[in-house]
Amino acid sequence: MKITLTVNGDDYPLDVEPRRILADVLREDCRLTGTHLGCEHGVCGACTVLVDGQAVRSCLMLAVQCDGRSVRTVEGLAGPDGEPHPLQRAFSAEHALQCGFCTPGFLMVAAGALEADPAIGDDPERVHGLVESNICRCTGYEPIRRAIMRAAAESASLRRR
Amino acid sequence: MEQWARREDRRLLTGRGQFVADMAVQNCLDAVFVRSGIAHGVVRDVDCAAAREVPGVVGVWSAADLSGLPACAHAAARLQDLPPVPHTLLAKLSTAEAVAGREWPALAKDRVRYAGEAVAVVVGEDRYRAEDGAAEVAVRIDPLPAVVTPSAAAGDSVLLFDGLSNTAFRGEAGTPIEETVWQEAAVVVEARYRQQLLMPTPMECRTILAVPEQDGRLTVWSGHQMPHRLRRELAALLGMPLDRIRVVVPDTGGAFGSKSAAFPEFVTVVYLAVMLGRPVRWIEDRLESMTAATRGRGQDQRVRLAADADGHLLAYELQIDADVGAYPHLGVGLPMQTAWMATGPYATPRVHASVRSVLTNTMVTYPYRGAGRPEATIALERSMDLLARRLGLDPAELRRRNFIPAEDFPYQTPTGRCYDSGNYAAALDLALETIGYDTWRAEQTRRRHDPRALPLGIGLSCYVERSGGEPGGLHDFAGIEAHEDGTIIARCGAASSGQSHETTFPALVAATLGVDESRVQLIEGDTDAQPEGLGSFASRSAQVDGAALHHASALLIDLARERAADLWGTPVEEVEWSDGSVHHVRDGSAAMDVAELVKATGPLSVDDRFESGMGFPFGAHVAVAEVDPELGTVRVLRLVVVDDCGVVLNPAIVRGQAFGSAVQGIGQALYEGIPYGDDGVPLLAGGLLDYLLPTATEVPPIEVKETRTPSPSTPLGAKGAGESGCIGTPAAIVNAVADALQIADPGLLQMPLTPDVVWRAARAAKYEGAR
Ligand code: FES
Ligand code: FES
Repeated sequence: MKITLTVNGDDYPLDVEPRRILADVLREDCRLTGTHLGCEHGVCGACTVLVDGQAVRSCLMLAVQCDGRSVRTVEGLAGPDGEPHPLQRAFSAEHALQCGFCTPGFLMVAAGALEADPAIGDDPERVHGLVESNICRCTGYEPIRRAIMRAAAESASLRRR
Repeated sequence: MEQWARREDRRLLTGRGQFVADMAVQNCLDAVFVRSGIAHGVVRDVDCAAAREVPGVVGVWSAADLSGLPACAHAAARLQDLPPVPHTLLAKLSTAEAVAGREWPALAKDRVRYAGEAVAVVVGEDRYRAEDGAAEVAVRIDPLPAVVTPSAAAGDSVLLFDGLSNTAFRGEAGTPIEETVWQEAAVVVEARYRQQLLMPTPMECRTILAVPEQDGRLTVWSGHQMPHRLRRELAALLGMPLDRIRVVVPDTGGAFGSKSAAFPEFVTVVYLAVMLGRPVRWIEDRLESMTAATRGRGQDQRVRLAADADGHLLAYELQIDADVGAYPHLGVGLPMQTAWMATGPYATPRVHASVRSVLTNTMVTYPYRGAGRPEATIALERSMDLLARRLGLDPAELRRRNFIPAEDFPYQTPTGRCYDSGNYAAALDLALETIGYDTWRAEQTRRRHDPRALPLGIGLSCYVERSGGEPGGLHDFAGIEAHEDGTIIARCGAASSGQSHETTFPALVAATLGVDESRVQLIEGDTDAQPEGLGSFASRSAQVDGAALHHASALLIDLARERAADLWGTPVEEVEWSDGSVHHVRDGSAAMDVAELVKATGPLSVDDRFESGMGFPFGAHVAVAEVDPELGTVRVLRLVVVDDCGVVLNPAIVRGQAFGSAVQGIGQALYEGIPYGDDGVPLLAGGLLDYLLPTATEVPPIEVKETRTPSPSTPLGAKGAGESGCIGTPAAIVNAVADALQIADPGLLQMPLTPDVVWRAARAAKYEGAR
């Protein structure tokens, strides 16, 4: 089936089997391997990407469902000049990653939420809810929560300026 | 680099990490395994004909098909049949006696012995095609009765290997304790504990990619802890000279002990790549991992602990029936780690531990973070709380009365360990002070008089563990090279699966040489770049490889001084090294940077083998938990972990590992466990919805603190870090729940403490004197 995915602003005209999941098409057909597969059954969230700004588990979505839609992956998080996203800087500063396998998923969950509501950091419960949605086996989550709070605080102070 | 706290972070945060599954290799085939859904049975037929007709499928083989394959085209290998799975010699994890007569075929031949055992392999142009093929393989297996627990299997009524007992290994540590000791002791407590089977569950499952090269060599990429071991084992299996194989470990998504062997799937994939002369990869998926990856723990324990009326320990006995799974090849001797550590942090005069390792129709047991030490700690620390209750002593006081005194190190234990250094009381004191022990005890008393309050318990767990490895495996290799352009290359035999080696080791080398960190690059996890190595296991990287790099840095300094002395025609004693430069002590001439020295005198490079002693990290963990007797739920209100791993190279990294490890320990205590049906099939149809890994919801407030008692085993003084939470935390939590419920029979509280377990325990009889 012929589809076009817009991934991180670039158009990818593709011919894909309808059964192929979005994660595999991103990784194998678009060669964007930053999106990881940790369970392939919708539990771990490592595969999270944004589709039209909404966080989705790309192991549970077919690529053909995304025809003509805009997909954002971890590769598209940094600014156009390569300037790291506040979340990327905050994750590093807070040691919110060890092996880094779960990291793209957490980053995209947080990026989607932060973009939908830049004031999310005002409500620590909501940030906690974001962290609860994915699995990390290395960090114990607390550094991830702190990183998202830090990035949110930074975005908030930028807005106020 | 200042943007990033670790050198690994830039690529891992921007999607540019390179995990095995991310590598694009021309012409690569994907392998998929057809697995037995039956735990024990006779293989009647594996029919691959229909699968071979599936479009995109390149090949399908059962074990029988592979033995019929023509001898391979690959010049370097001498191969015919698919080789069997090798056994682990390291740390006596397996033995030649245990595997004698018990072959572990990489693809099951006439018998399957665990659910998930591979019976055929399909390779296809991509994973989808290979899965299509796998779906068409027709497998007929006649079931045999399955034995699922060590107690069921030990009777030998059903044999896994005809003519051989299911008991594949026996061992002991210490001397058997005479009956009179128990008879004459003022107090003896006895209990049975179950150390349930756990899934290590790194977020990246197992991976391997084998690429036959034009020149006849073979490159193997794998998320792995021991690339040199993998190279050695594959070379032996394939009949290839060692130097014809290169193993590379790229980014690896966690391991926790579970990624250090040559698994059946690895053997098959590498064999096929060589036979077909084509790259083949296997990227394990989660559901596959949940049936066919190695598990951890799996012990049924019986303990007896005796003390005099003042609470001084007299004797401790631990009997272990270990569930080692269907094949003895990887972990039949692993329970000895528990036996050797049975003494714990106490000066108990008599300690005896015995091990019986029993084969069952379940997947194989292998190290998982902690690897034998959690089992030792949990048994002893639960028993200490029981004893304290019987004596009417505060559990902290009972422990203080029995700790090996700080001045008694090195300390030879009755179970054969020689502890290097320790100050156990200091760790406990810090933990109690941090959590506010007296305040919580007061709160507990208040609640016991308030009928509406939920019961609250405080649990202590003091542990001592072992790091670095076992004799014969306490060394590693390291090298340092100084280059003309000013860069310094550090090499070692370790392999990171998330432990920040790329950041920590260059910092250590830079500090030792006195150069800027940015000049030092680390190379590891590549058997071509670093020809010899042991790897990363047993919490050894900082302790052994760190010390090896420290040592190599000192050798490089000596060599540079000699070179400069030759160059300048002065005695070497008159050449000094500081801040990455050599200079003459007396004449006031300017210092010469090591890069200039290389320019003037040629390449500067040192390599050496370094051997460490065993390290014995220790600590004290304290948990406060609230139990809802009506719902059976446990809420951990607070957890304090105090760890002592000697000299710490990078405090932020060590704390991060301690925290994550504690959360895994909470997982063992409260949530994780592999339930097997009577037929030996794991009851995990819902995948990670059935096997409950802790999420952020389950993480209580945790405070990580440390004491620092350097190890005399290396000049660096570091001991292993990172396994502490799995070792110390579970018993603290279980003890807190037991303390809250005040039950008489500790056997009712077996991990994981699910609502069902706790609800039942809450209805059981309380101990005498309970309020
Ligand atoms: S891989 Fe998609 S949720 Fe785990
Ligand atoms: S950093 Fe390893 S799984 Fe999250």
